Amino acid sequence: MPRLAAGLVVLLLAAITYPGAFAVSMIARLTPPPTASSPAPPGELPWLHVEHPKNGRPYIADDQKRMVLFHGAVPADLLDFGNSARPDAPPPYPIDPAPYEGGRCPTIIPSAYPPLCQSDLAQMAAFGFNSLRLPLSWSLLEPERGRFDQTYVDRAAQVVDWARALGIYVIIDMHQNAYSRYVGPGNGVDLSANSGAPAWATLTDGLPSGLWIPNQREANGAVFEAFSNFWYNRSGIQDEYIAAVSFLAKRFKDDSAVAGYSVFNEPQNGWNLPPGFDDLLLFPFYRRVIDAVTGAHDGLPCPTGIFLPAICGYADAGVHDRRHLFFLEPGLLRQITDFPTHLGLPVSSYPNLVFDIHAYTHGFTVEALIPGSSHDPSRATYPWGGYDQTYDLGWREAKAMGAALFVSEFGNDPKYDSLLLAQQALQQEKYNVGFAFWTWKENSGVGWGMFDPTRKGVSPLESSGCLRVSRERLLARVYPRASSDPSLAYHYEPATGGFSLSAHGRAGDPATVISIPPEVTGAVTASGTDVPVTQTSPDGSRLVSVTPAGGPFSITVAAAQLALAGCG
Amino acid sequence: MRDRAATRALVLGLLGLPFGVFAPFAVWTGTRSLRRIRSAHGELTGGSSALLGLAAGLLGLVALIAGILYWFLAS
Repeated sequence: MPRLAAGLVVLLLAAITYPGAFAVSMIARLTPPPTASSPAPPGELPWLHVEHPKNGRPYIADDQKRMVLFHGAVPADLLDFGNSARPDAPPPYPIDPAPYEGGRCPTIIPSAYPPLCQSDLAQMAAFGFNSLRLPLSWSLLEPERGRFDQTYVDRAAQVVDWARALGIYVIIDMHQNAYSRYVGPGNGVDLSANSGAPAWATLTDGLPSGLWIPNQREANGAVFEAFSNFWYNRSGIQDEYIAAVSFLAKRFKDDSAVAGYSVFNEPQNGWNLPPGFDDLLLFPFYRRVIDAVTGAHDGLPCPTGIFLPAICGYADAGVHDRRHLFFLEPGLLRQITDFPTHLGLPVSSYPNLVFDIHAYTHGFTVEALIPGSSHDPSRATYPWGGYDQTYDLGWREAKAMGAALFVSEFGNDPKYDSLLLAQQALQQEKYNVGFAFWTWKENSGVGWGMFDPTRKGVSPLESSGCLRVSRERLLARVYPRASSDPSLAYHYEPATGGFSLSAHGRAGDPATVISIPPEVTGAVTASGTDVPVTQTSPDGSRLVSVTPAGGPFSITVAAAQLALAGCG
Repeated sequence: MRDRAATRALVLGLLGLPFGVFAPFAVWTGTRSLRRIRSAHGELTGGSSALLGLAAGLLGLVALIAGILYWFLAS
């Protein structure tokens, strides 16, 4: 009898650890995908999905199966950051959409991020941006357990409406920073840098809040404990999170302007170590979210409210949203090492998955986080593979998982733009990967935003209108928005405004569309194509559609004086 | 007398399921322990622990190898 019991213990442990996780992943890979594809109504943005070429890498595609590249930014205004002086302080700007209607914008007050208004979307469109990542906070979405705030979702929907009118896709991002604003004050803790879970879902078990490493908000025992409790579904808080994502999905299920859902921003491992954290806790959690929202039945049925091991799927939440992308981030340790912390096991039979990385090489990679180091990115010795490392490995991770690749955050101190920002942009071109730049506008500290908060002679509170010229030069780029050739090669030269693209196409393939921001004034020429069709917007940006004649084709934008509007 | 390696094999085997790095050591220790117990003709005990440790180690090792193989084949 003891032998039998011990044998059962071994089998049970095997089922809830790697052997079970591997088996469920392989079954998910072999399971036919659930499909529910239908075209968007005329005039709406086309639905996006992930194409899975037989001998190539998956990529985000539109309804004509063209590869779609996202260029966009991340506005942080809808986040619920903490306040060390007033722990229960509400967000600085209304979460009710009414004060933003009709092009109005609330009066700017002292806060880290200015309000996101309709004029911001117009500015983004003028940059040639075709997407934005919209971070939301769970604490505002579900302030009390089981009660979702419809007003907050209305505010998000308002931003989606503005975006739709400008042809911009929105990635709805369930964001967090250091788990929650409610982890508690303590040594070195600046709660204004924390956001995420509501108070009722922040279970720190009395561990003191305090930073082990100065200025590293995640290096906090209370944050570790709260994350661990989340991953182990203590008191069913993970169930509530899945319900919150499902609630969002119900609202946006039929909206093609929403590209998809970023399920969890920068997931920290708590007390768990990789690769087990990613493979046994994080990615199975993603599978359960996808199960709930899409109705895919991957994994085994398990009771809720208790720890859910890797083999567990999740009940269908009745949303049946099968037309949106799911953006899945690896664990935070992958993001700060630029190195995989997981085996790349398939997550779900649902096909529209995007593996999204944060590319903060030399900004937030480990060598830059060492306390007391006078970090000089130009002399950094890690990552050993340089800027290329995170992209090359990210591609491999994404392919193993059956997912497309996307950079959902990158950014840096503006003084390093010519090095860090320029290098990241080059890598994104090399790997044909889209991006969301962190952050759109930011008034606090040195400010990483695209706009300078310290314009001379102007109040800092009003100064987010001063566009940083280095960012305008590097981010208002010429790029292919859509193309039938996912292996095309292109390069934009930010110093001259010159652009070149080479690709292959068959006669009759849908057009390759090039986005040219108003800063770039050079003439467009194409060879191996029909006559390019140019559509110019009132803001001066151009969309050039080029239909291949069959065979190789190329598009160039001549170098010409840049019409930069920025200052500083 | 109990073969101490049998207990070690069981612990390593159980650790090898969530942390594959322990699995080869569980297989190695479990195999050696089982051999010792069988050749001791009843003077050493712990055969069940060694066998379970070996089994858990093998499961962990198979998952580890399969996972690594999958990464190289699919990435």
